Amino acid sequence: MKRDKANYRNVNENPCNMCMPMGGILPFKGVEQSMVILHGSQGCATYMRRHIAEHFNEPIDVASSALNEKGTVYGGEKNRKQGLDNLIKLYSPGIIGILTTCLAETIGEDIGRITSDYRNEHELHRLPIITVPTPGYGGSHTEGYWLAAKQIVSGLARQTPRHSKINIIVPHISPADIREIKRILDRMDIDFTLFPDFSDTLDRPFSKTYKKIPNGGTRIADIAAMPGAAATVQIGITIDDDLSPGRFLEREFGVPLYNVPIPTGLENMDLFMNVLTEITGSCMPLSLEQERGRLLDCMIDSHKYNFEGRSVIFGEPELVYAVAKTCMENGIFPVVAATGSKNAKLAELLTAEIDKYERQVVLLMDSDFDQIRQNSTSAGANIAIGHSDGRYLTEREGIPLVRLGFPIHDRVGGQRVLSVGYLGTTMLLDRVTNTLLENKYKNYRSSMYEQFYHNGHENNISGKILLSGTEG
Amino acid sequence: MAVNEKDIDSILEAYPAKVKRNRKKHIVIKDSSLAHQEIEANTRTIPGIITNRGCAYAGCKGVVLGPIKDIVHITHGPVGCGYYSWLTRRNKAKTLEDGKNYLAYCVTTDMQETDIVFGGEKKLAKVIDEVVEIFKPNGVTVSATCPIGLIGDDINAIAKAAQEKHGIPVMAFSCEGYKGVSQSAGHHIANNGVLEWMVGKGEMTEAPAKYSINMLGEYNIGGDSWEIERFLKEIGYHIIAVATGDGSYENLKNTHVADLNLVQCHRSINYIAEMLEIKYGTPWLKVNFIGVEATVKSLRDMAIYFGDPELIQKTEDVIAREVARVEPILNQYKKICEGKTAFCFVGGSRGHHYQKLFADLGIDTVLAGYEFAHRDDYEGRQVIPDIKPDADSKNIPELHVESDKKLFKLKISPEKAEELKKKIPLSNYEGMNAEMKDGYLIVDDLNHFETERFVELLKPDIFASGIKDKFIPQKMGIPSKQIHSYDYSGPYAGFNGAVKFAEDVTAMFTTPTWNFMTPPWKYKPMLEGTVEEEGN
Repeated sequence: MKRDKANYRNVNENPCNMCMPMGGILPFKGVEQSMVILHGSQGCATYMRRHIAEHFNEPIDVASSALNEKGTVYGGEKNRKQGLDNLIKLYSPGIIGILTTCLAETIGEDIGRITSDYRNEHELHRLPIITVPTPGYGGSHTEGYWLAAKQIVSGLARQTPRHSKINIIVPHISPADIREIKRILDRMDIDFTLFPDFSDTLDRPFSKTYKKIPNGGTRIADIAAMPGAAATVQIGITIDDDLSPGRFLEREFGVPLYNVPIPTGLENMDLFMNVLTEITGSCMPLSLEQERGRLLDCMIDSHKYNFEGRSVIFGEPELVYAVAKTCMENGIFPVVAATGSKNAKLAELLTAEIDKYERQVVLLMDSDFDQIRQNSTSAGANIAIGHSDGRYLTEREGIPLVRLGFPIHDRVGGQRVLSVGYLGTTMLLDRVTNTLLENKYKNYRSSMYEQFYHNGHENNISGKILLSGTEG
Repeated sequence: MAVNEKDIDSILEAYPAKVKRNRKKHIVIKDSSLAHQEIEANTRTIPGIITNRGCAYAGCKGVVLGPIKDIVHITHGPVGCGYYSWLTRRNKAKTLEDGKNYLAYCVTTDMQETDIVFGGEKKLAKVIDEVVEIFKPNGVTVSATCPIGLIGDDINAIAKAAQEKHGIPVMAFSCEGYKGVSQSAGHHIANNGVLEWMVGKGEMTEAPAKYSINMLGEYNIGGDSWEIERFLKEIGYHIIAVATGDGSYENLKNTHVADLNLVQCHRSINYIAEMLEIKYGTPWLKVNFIGVEATVKSLRDMAIYFGDPELIQKTEDVIAREVARVEPILNQYKKICEGKTAFCFVGGSRGHHYQKLFADLGIDTVLAGYEFAHRDDYEGRQVIPDIKPDADSKNIPELHVESDKKLFKLKISPEKAEELKKKIPLSNYEGMNAEMKDGYLIVDDLNHFETERFVELLKPDIFASGIKDKFIPQKMGIPSKQIHSYDYSGPYAGFNGAVKFAEDVTAMFTTPTWNFMTPPWKYKPMLEGTVEEEGN
């Protein structure tokens, strides 16, 4: 059973989401030799670069057309053209993404026309320029991510003769997660195009020679050939069809689409493997079967601790679904699941899962951290799983936080957090269980003392039982 | 080490011709044999260049208003702007007995598409009501983001109505991101509002104690202000308000009664300093509490201003004790730091201030610059009359102030002020350039491309800047120190801050990590042996 709680307040107090262009930058970082320019005030690019850099610990070069007051009156075309000139001269990118912002959309810039004019004037017929309308008020960073991903695919895809590759489209997961998915596909000898692949560009290995545009990213030619693929496996069950690159490939080119959840959790990963084996005919390699076995062993090792967990899960819809399921199959039952995005599908999908259990879960869509905090305390949550802004749950309510998702700005290594596949799930589950244990150890002695020696009375006759795990 | 014009040209060669001409004016090689060296600053950012500059909203809400703790700061606009300025500057604030400290909160009207189409005024009014009910703050600010000005929400009218309804100050700031050329525009907008709506609203009519001062342009990042206050209070100063680190409306409203205003960050607060002088007759003194030598000088300048022998003696006593305490520690760190070189590219004052701290450690700053400063921050305030206002600066309203009939009080006589100006930087700032060494580089609005090329050219030992550019030199194997938020360290101001900085910087130089950058197989064979050909 679930309970929906609408937020009747107008104020957003401590947001749980960011704005649309922020999310739109990321898929471009997963394409080879790409550069992004934001059409609007320079502050947008600066703020977003700052946040992305802090999470990935990488330089994030995002240009801006640096519109000023004059641009708001006369239009920003001149600035944007100049911006593109400079960007091309300095970076020689292989592809350019143009994202709009509140400013450009509110003054009604026709970026499509400006772009085609620019292309014709400069005879840039071979340089792909992808435009994405991403006003900050148009949605959260999640919608920005998917819209940009879809625009890239629809802008580059070309009618291609059938080939044996499969398309793998990934949501906003960590570079380590992307690498793990690639490893699994390699183990299975599957020929694939993974998009967007920011596993190297946003987590580049140290090498003394600095490159302005890092190596890596999905090849443009491979994206162009996605319409010829045997199938698309899209990790994105919560996205709208309008924003879905996989649905686009299906509708326009007839590529069969398999939408699957993030392969975090045993069932989700089994489903991912099933889909892959069904499409390709390859079987599960022994090494992966062993990884599955180890995950099961891990789940058995920790089940006697996990049942004490009452989790609050928050972040991007796709992540919330996968983590909630992982928690459910391990008895760390979610009491609150929340996202800052407006996402009807997530609510529907989670309700279907929750209905299998006789439990109460508060689902919060379009939420903020004030609402999440209040619901977490009233539901007695004792572990939080999500991005860094959930640290308030720890600071205010003593609910420990397992950092997962984006952004992780108060710890290092956000780009290296692995939580997909049997291996990644095992690692995540251990982190969660150990966080519960750490809290238990921290309070165990005092709660025992409380139980048996309360008020100096040895062997407290009332026999009041205090659960160590439920104490602050 | 000295750089020549040819080096610069070879770097700028990569730009289109027009950009090259533009950027050249923002780069100066210090040459003290010239009467004056002009630098272009505070002009429009070149589109498509990866600048480190932010926007007017960032300067207004993010820098100046944000640290005022007993006021709730509402960001009126879509969710992003509020989110991105949520605690990112690490301004510290102590919660007092009234419990009114709202710095940890990010409050936004989170405008949606329908709000953009139909206007956000009603939503803003409701949000103000909710905020007052939930937090019961001493005041509310409303900062506008880009779309607000474009759709024409009358935030001033909403604020005025809310102020009447709730009986607390509700202040609207039209700091839309597209105003001006950088966050500097936002500083100015915020300064105007603070002076108009906060300063002078308190009950005080004269200084509550001897040596009453305000500290302007100090934002208490990582606790800087607390370290500075520690010794100022010991010497005998009474601090009325800090603008705005650990600041509060409760204190700022009495700013007008101080005997002297200290100006730490000239760029972000000089407007208030100037207006306070005109309106209330309080002069300002340019200080720098970053670095031991700079701190000592600032303390002596303050003592000269008051001219009281007892205060001068107490100042010298504290200086002697503090220097004797920290110098031996710094000397240990200096053994490692001495002779190294730094880049120092930050904000609108720290690009200058931190050079003094580096100098304490024997580190030479070979390239320095500001993101968003004006010419006076480089060349000194004497150039202000020569700066021609352009279209962008004209868009920022100038607040015309006159002397306050009730509260104006000349703190020192004009004759005394003139005399003091010969000895101390009273109501004056000489700028960064004066203190740079010949042959070293001054670069305004340094961008990612130039960062990389200048690092290659000058090979500094440490790069002091912000989070957006710090990973470039780090990827090149050069340690980077964040001077915006201190990489979660600090305080770096004053005597104890200098020690903390020295410790952090030395640790960065000496970490064994740098020894592993070149893999051993690049310089020596891992296995020794000979390959024998088959059959031998």
